[in-house]
Formats: sequence, C-alpha cells, structure tokens
Amino acid sequence: MISFIIRRVLQSVLVLLVVGLVAFSMFRFVGDPIDNMLGQERTIEDIERLRTQLGLDQPFVVQYYKFLEGAVQGNFGVSYRQGRPVAEIIIERAPATLELAAVSGVLAILLGIALGVFTAIRRNGFAANFIMSASLIGVSLPTFLIGILLIYLFSVELGWLPSFGRGEVVDLGWWSTGFLTESGLKALILPSITLGLYQMTLIMRLVRSEMLEVLRQDYIRFARARGLKDRALYFRHALKNTMVPVITVIGLQLGAIIAFAIITETVFQWPGVGLLFINAIQFVDIPVMAAYLMLISVMFVAINLIVDLLYLAIDPRLRIGR
Amino acid sequence: MRTLTAALAVSTALSSPVIAEDFSWAVTTDPQTMDPHAVSSAPVLGFLNNVYEGLVRRGKDMSIEPALATSWEPIGDGEGWRFFLREGVTFQNGNAFDAQDVLFSYERASSEASDVRSWFAPVSEVRVVDDFTVEIMTSAPNPIFPDSIANWMIMDSDWARQHLVEFPDKEQGNFATLNTNGTGAFRIVSRQPDLETVLEPFDGWWGEVEHNITRATLTPVQNPATALAALLSGDVDFINPVPIQDVARLQGNDDVSVIQGIEARVIMFGFPHEAETLKFSSDVTDANPFADVRVRQAVAHAINVPAILQTIMRGNAEEVAQLVSPAMRGFSDGLAERPEYNPDRARELLAEAGYPDGFSFGLKCPNNRYLNDEAVCQAATGMLAQVGLNAELDAMPVSNYWPELRADNYDMYLLGWSPGTFDAEHPIRFLASTPNEEKRLGSWNFGGYSNERIDALLPMIQSEIDDSKRQMMLDEVAGILQDEAAYVPMYVQPLIWGTASNIEMVQRPDNFFILRWVTVN
Repeated sequence: MISFIIRRVLQSVLVLLVVGLVAFSMFRFVGDPIDNMLGQERTIEDIERLRTQLGLDQPFVVQYYKFLEGAVQGNFGVSYRQGRPVAEIIIERAPATLELAAVSGVLAILLGIALGVFTAIRRNGFAANFIMSASLIGVSLPTFLIGILLIYLFSVELGWLPSFGRGEVVDLGWWSTGFLTESGLKALILPSITLGLYQMTLIMRLVRSEMLEVLRQDYIRFARARGLKDRALYFRHALKNTMVPVITVIGLQLGAIIAFAIITETVFQWPGVGLLFINAIQFVDIPVMAAYLMLISVMFVAINLIVDLLYLAIDPRLRIGR
Repeated sequence: MRTLTAALAVSTALSSPVIAEDFSWAVTTDPQTMDPHAVSSAPVLGFLNNVYEGLVRRGKDMSIEPALATSWEPIGDGEGWRFFLREGVTFQNGNAFDAQDVLFSYERASSEASDVRSWFAPVSEVRVVDDFTVEIMTSAPNPIFPDSIANWMIMDSDWARQHLVEFPDKEQGNFATLNTNGTGAFRIVSRQPDLETVLEPFDGWWGEVEHNITRATLTPVQNPATALAALLSGDVDFINPVPIQDVARLQGNDDVSVIQGIEARVIMFGFPHEAETLKFSSDVTDANPFADVRVRQAVAHAINVPAILQTIMRGNAEEVAQLVSPAMRGFSDGLAERPEYNPDRARELLAEAGYPDGFSFGLKCPNNRYLNDEAVCQAATGMLAQVGLNAELDAMPVSNYWPELRADNYDMYLLGWSPGTFDAEHPIRFLASTPNEEKRLGSWNFGGYSNERIDALLPMIQSEIDDSKRQMMLDEVAGILQDEAAYVPMYVQPLIWGTASNIEMVQRPDNFFILRWVTVN
C-alpha cells in the first residue's frame, strides 16, 4: 500500500516535470514579451538589454531550470505585465475562481441529479422529454455563446443582473468573498449558470441512464413486488446504486470546472485566475503562464491521485494485483 | 401638496451640489504600471495624464498649453528652453512642487531604466536657476522641444526618495508601479491591477475644475462584446473602443452615443528595400522586385483604399497619402492626394519593371494590433491579385509579429504609426531614416529604406526654428517618400468611443481619455 502510494507520488512528480518542460518549450511560440514591455521609442539595443535582464536570451531548458529552482522555494517570479510577484497575484485572484467554481459545481450536482432522477422516472412524460431535448442545448452550445446570450437577455434587455464583474466583495483576511453582499451574489448568478450548464447536463444524462439501468435490475422488481413505496424505492435503493459512477465523474469534473473557467471568466470579465491566464497569453507574461499551468497540473494530478487511492480503498481486488 | 413640493424643491436645492457623480469606464487594456517613466505606451500615459502633470500639457485641440510651467522661452539662439514654473502647486501627498522636482524627474525619466528617455536625447543639461525657474539646454536648437515633453510627468523628489523609487523598475516593479503622487486633477484612491482603479478629484489641484465627477472607476474589460453589453446595460458610462461593426447599432440607440474621430495612427504597407531576394516567392527567387520603385508604385495603384474604408472600416476612416495624418503638425498640404486606384496603371508599371505577369510573394500582417488589421490585409491581397501580385497572407498575433519583422521574414508587411510628438518629424526619424543604432534612428525601419537626402534633411528639420523653412523641408521629405513609394500609406485609423447619452466628454486624436473634461448630466 505504502509502496503503491510512493510510486504514484513519484509518477505524479514526473508528470509535473514533463508538463513544465512542454510548457516552457511552447512559450517561444506564444511570442516575444519584450515588445509589449517597451514603448515605440525603444531601440534594438533596449530590446536586447531587457531580453538579457529577463534571461530570455537563454535556451528554454535553462529558463525552465531557473523557474523550477525558484518554484521549489515558493518563488514564481515577477509578472512582466504587472511588475508584482506572481504568487501574490494568483492568491489574490484565486478566491474569485474558486467561489465561481463552487457555486456552479453545487448547482450542477443538485440540479443534475434531481433532473436526472426525474427524467428517468417519468421516462415518457412530456416534461421529461422536454428537459432531455433542452439539455442538448447545454451540451452543444459553446460556453461563450451561452454567456453572451444570458448577458443580453438578463443585463441588457431586462436589466436585472450585472453584465460583468464580481460586484462588491468583502475581504476576510486574504480571502475576498462575493457571498456577503447583494451585488456579489447577483453577479454570481449568470457566470455560474454559464459555467455549470455543461456539467449539469452531463450529470443529468449520466444519472438518467444509470438510473434506467438500475431500475431494470431484479432487486428493484422484487422490492416493488414486496410493496415498497415508490419514494423509498427510487431514492433509497435505486439512486444509491446509481451514485458510484456519478461520483467518479463529478470528482473529475470539479477539476475541469476550475481549469476551464477561462472562457466564462473572459465573457463575464470575472476577475479570477482564468482571466489572468488569458491576459498573460496576450501579453506573453511567461512567469504567470508558467505558474498557472503548473498550478492546474498540480490540481489535476492531485485529483487523479486521490481518485486512484479511493479505488484502492473501495476495491480490494486492486490491492491483490499489486 | 404645496408643502410637499416646496420641501422637495428645498431638498433638491440642498442636495444637488453634493450629489455624487459616479463615473465608470471600461478599456481593453489596463495601464500596466502607475509609473509615468516606466512604460511609454498610450494606455499608461493616457491614464496617468489624469494623475500626474508635465511642465506643459495638450489642450482639447492638441495644442500645447501651460501646466506646471506658466510660460517658457527659448534661450539665446536655440541653446535651450527656459521654463517658469507655477508657484503654489502641491503634490497629492501635500509636498510642495518646485524646480528640484523638475530636475529629479528629468534624471529619473532620462535614466537607463526609463522607457521615455528618447524624449531627452536632445538634452545636454538641466539647470535649476531658482526655485521656480528651470533651464533645459539642448545640444542643438530644438524648436519642438516643448511639444515633445507634453507627456513627461513630474514626480515629487522627496516622495520618490522616501519610497526608494528614484528609478523606474520595469522588471521587478517597485512602490511607484502601484502608487502615485502627482499634481494632477485626480488622485488614485485604490488600485487593484487588472481589476479596478478608483480615482477621486484632488482637492488641492491648482487648476479650475470643469468636470463634476466625485468618483471615477476604471475597469479593464478585454472582451469587446462584454464591454458593449456593459455600456448598453448601464453598468459603465463609457467604453473605448467600440467595435466597428457595432457602431451602426449603437447610433440607433437613444441611451448611448458614439463619439467618432480619427486617431493619429496611419496604416501603411512596408517593403524589404535592402533584401537581395524575395523570401516567400514561388516564381521570383533570384531578385527582389520591391527594390524597384515601379513595383512599389504598382502596389500603391492596385490597392483600392476607398473600397477598404467603405467595406471594412464602414466609412469610419480617412484616406491618407503621407506617413502622418492631416491633423499633425508639419503635414504637407500640397501632397495630400493618394495615388489613384488604377489597376491598369499598376499592370503597366509592373510590365515596365519586367514583371508583366506579376509574381508571388509573402505578406505579413498582425491580427490583433490595429482595427480589423487582418481583414484589411485580406482585402488588399485580393486587390493585388487582380494585377498579378499574388500575395500569400500570413496573419499572426502581434507578440509574434514584431520578432518576425525584426528577423526580416517578410516580402511586404503592414504597419501602423502614431507619432508620439504629433509632428511630421517623428515618422521620418523612426521609419524613413537609414537605421542607425548609435544615433537611435530608423529603429522601426524594418525594410532598411535609405535616402541620403532624407538623412541630411532630418537634423536640419530638427533644429530649424523658422516654421516656414521647416515646413519646406518636411514637404521635400514627404515628396521624396511619395515619389519613391517608400511606404504605401492607406488610411488614418478611426477612434470610436461609446458613452451613455448623459455624459459629455472630449475626444483627442491621441486617444487619451481626460477625466477633467467629463460632465455627467
């Protein structure tokens, strides 16, 4: 067991190193940050001087090594665009993304499960068919389009909700929250729907098909024959047995919600790390890009590691195999 | 009822002077620093003009007017300029302004770490005569020196020393990257880079207040559709820019208004004058046709600029025949006509040059630098193909574009130029001079265009005090550039701002947004 964990952790570290290497070898294709840092009156000499100062004249492997050297000491460098430590910027931006991801995650799980169960029970009803058809929109429309549509409907036409930003936030130590003000809560509605819609439809369709599968099983028939109430049948017995694969998917989707909040954050000018990353790409802000990519890969690697360990805990057969 | 009306009237009368006029605006690019000497870019200098001030400033019509200097005069026969400083000015932290701050700001802005040091290339020395007189000596007579320092902002020397920001720091950032202490009409109350910057009027400002803003908030919004939605829903009062394709729709909406003008930026095509051969041609591999003036003139005749302006710019831009727009000082009025659109003439010229069937080449173009830049290049590619010039278009983000041009990887390229000094001398220095690193000349002359006469005229233009003689020389340079088709200028880029209809403001061709000219009705 312990050797398994150690092996997985070592593998994870290797994955992180490879991700970093690939990222650094790609940065040169994103462009040259120097032109963005100097005004039009610069000379070629100024360009070369700044390039040397930033260490950008060195091969990417050296740059990568220097980044790693700093990163293990908790120093991710200074943003080319903002002239502030990257770690500070990311910590400042993280609450926005995490709160948005949490709200859309909860929304997706609650609504997804409820609607999934409903459409499975009322398989041929009009409402269930309508929901199933409507859910196709959630899967097929691109996120930015849904976002823009919501903005035009609820902000521009109806004027109910703010069109961008996070509203007023309250600082609790280093964490800034939008949960405590009315404008902060209002500002959360549209982006969290936009971000969570895809996951919601995914969970809903998964729950529905798993539920249909379970309802066909013999023990459900026997339970029904024994005269169990519908409620107990569906929620105590059927739903519980549905949840095993659903939880796996939810776990993986949580990472995706945080990582892929980029588009939603851009559409709503949501001040999270995704928006930070998009701006960094445009400016070729290498320290920010590198730190963000490493952060996201650490997150995915950690989630995968936890999932693997959970399997191990759940299924004893896996342990024997090793 | 009457009492109620009376009470209302009284309360309105009482409250109107103190009604908070909150103003908020959205821009695409957040000013990346608050240090006025660290980055010489329009978003930074434009924003900081509200907070810091220079010795002189530009008025609503771009003319130079007194700011921290009340008057100035040339010294002797052009040995320099004497500035008489305004008395009783205080910085936003309460420190008094005097000549030492000017000297300090000169040292800071002309230091190696500064991005604006080229403004001070002609300066040999700055002398403090007394507390309120400063002499700036130039190595040669410099008639437009006051114009060229309109964006040189004065920083408080004590404040800078106290916070250890005697020099700008682009790479690591410092206290002045995030904090300000200017003499301007507004002070920054809070600043969260990339998220929100809040300004309030500075009570101790020396000038006469024209605006009625009590609080102003700047939010960067990168996505143009989001910015537009924010304006339409009333979440912001002003956005810059408005996407060209949305102008017509905004004009039909009573709640918002569109302010249009032309920017100082001229969009043009450039050529590889020095190259031996074409780099991306499939048929001409042993020569550089663009070295022949007739081929360049053919390009000028083949591009239908009015059609580009009508379709891609939707009638929002103006044709231009020189490297500067007609609004700039030193524009040559006699040379305002662009070569006419005439594909037959273009074919004739190509045949004369020895390319009756044309040739193929590579056209490089940015896709996120200028308004609709890629679309303009696509249109031009189609027009050039009509005369046999088969351009293979390669459009890329601007971060990749400049390195590509510096590496000479092009056969023709698109360039926009906005003269920082608002003078026709500026593009001559950067685009038309033979590149010379030591003299800091021709640093954007990617193609290496070189003309002895222009190189000889430039220093004379720079030091000529007599306006009409200077204009004659500028006319001569503009004439040479047109005859040789060194560049093919096409149009002046439009400026399109969108505001809520209860807002009045002033739009300047430098695309600076000046808060103290805003009125909220």
